[in-house]
Formats: sequence, structure tokens, C-alpha cells
Amino acid sequence: MENGTIERTIHVEASPAVVFDVVSNPEHVRAWWPDEAEFSSTPGAPGRIGFDQGDSGMAWEQFTVVDAVPHRLFSFRWTHAEGTVAAANNSFLVTFELEPEGEGTLLRLTETGFRERGWDDAKVAAEHASHVSGWDHFLPRLPVYAAGVGTRS
Amino acid sequence: MSTVVDDDLWSAVGDPTRRRMLDLLLSDGSGTATSLSAQLPVTRQAVAKHLVVLDRVGLVHGSAAGREKQFRVDQAQLGRAVEQLANVGAAWDARLRRIKRIAETIQRQSTPPPPPRRGEKKGRK
Repeated sequence: MENGTIERTIHVEASPAVVFDVVSNPEHVRAWWPDEAEFSSTPGAPGRIGFDQGDSGMAWEQFTVVDAVPHRLFSFRWTHAEGTVAAANNSFLVTFELEPEGEGTLLRLTETGFRERGWDDAKVAAEHASHVSGWDHFLPRLPVYAAGVGTRS
Repeated sequence: MSTVVDDDLWSAVGDPTRRRMLDLLLSDGSGTATSLSAQLPVTRQAVAKHLVVLDRVGLVHGSAAGREKQFRVDQAQLGRAVEQLANVGAAWDARLRRIKRIAETIQRQSTPPPPPRRGEKKGRK
């Protein structure tokens, strides 16, 4: 969170080949995330994922595969504007890294780009170390606000 | 399930100086460009610019009091910013649980587990 990065790891009792297919094949991706997924695993090819909004139809987000190394790595950028090329300053980068662990797979997820959008990330690096207390100060206050914040998701 | 962080809001709280300013405004109750710059390693002018950014996304509100504007944090808006980030993490937790369930189901269907044997390593693809 401090660097505008989400990081998670999870152990999956399935081989890296199976896990890779689940995180990268649009047929499977639809089962764990969007309602529609249209993308090829060719890096750079434009694609999109759709979220069913009921009466308002499908909300589409642009989706571009960055890297696909079978059984080891799958990464993509999403949320850039339609017609633009996905880059560090206009989209979020999601990376799945897969490692064999016992009979299964250790799956590591990172999502970055929250901070890079719209401001100088060199400044983040320089000031990050001395100002990390910022989030710590107000993050714990969240539950107090949550009730009044509404139902936006 | 789409959880997209509001770009402007996140850019505003993403800057460490602006986060420090929010911290100071929260702990002091209110502040001016002058009082904030006295507590930060940046000029009053830089603080004033940051206040404009924070004001534009509704994170602070200024009121004219004496010679300088007094700024306060809009706690509801700050809560919204923090909530959006918390949502991103929670959304990924849920997605990863589904990935795990799907992959493990496929694995079980394709390879029935061998009976466990002590002291023997099974070669597997």
C-alpha cells in the first residue's frame, strides 16, 4: 500500500500449468473476475474486459497483456483509455508470478500504478522513506468514517 | 466487481507531502499555508500549491479567517479515498480465492491424487 502497490500471495494445490491457465485464459478469467473477457495472450494486443452493470449494459475496461511466460508469469495492464497504448502513467499493472511449491503452486499477485498515475514517481522514491507514517496515521481511522461514506464500491 | 480507484483522488493522497499535510491538519484541527510550511521541509508557496490540489478533489476546505485561509480536512472525502484503496485489496483477495478454487477443481478432475506413501518421493510433471 505504501507504494501504491497491492501485494498478495496464496498457495494453490494445483500445478503451475493449471494455475497459469486459470489466471491467463479468458475463459477462466471470466470465472473469477469480469463478466466478459476479450483478449489474446499476445503482448501488446488490445483487449478488454467487461463488467455487467444490469440495466446500464456492460462497462468495458481496456486490457492489454504485457508478458506471458507459460507456467511462470502473466502480467497485464488495464483501465487505460480506449484507443490509447497501455503505459505506466495511464493504467494499472497486474502481475501474477507462479512458483512450484510442494505439489502445488505459490501464486504471487501485485497490482501497481496507483501512484504513478498523474504525478512524479521519482519523487515518491525520494520522499517515501521519510514520510511513510502518513498512511499509518489515518488508515486506522477508516472504520470511523466507513459508516458515513456510503455504498460506493 | 470493478473497483477502480478515483484517479484524481488517489493522485492527491498519493503525494507524501500532501499526506503529511493531511496528517498535520488532522492532528492540529486546521492550518494555513504558513503554519503547515513551518512544520514541513517545503516552502509556503509549495504548500499553497498542494492545498489547491487537495481542495480541488474535496479533501480539504478553506475558509477565510484573518489574513490567511484556514484549511480543514474533509473527513468523509478522506475516508472515501482510503476506502477505495482498502476495496482494491479486498477485491483481489476475493479474486484470488476464486482462482484457487477453480485451479484446484481442475487439478482434482485431471489427476486423481495418488495414495500417500511415507518416505517416498513421487516424481511429478
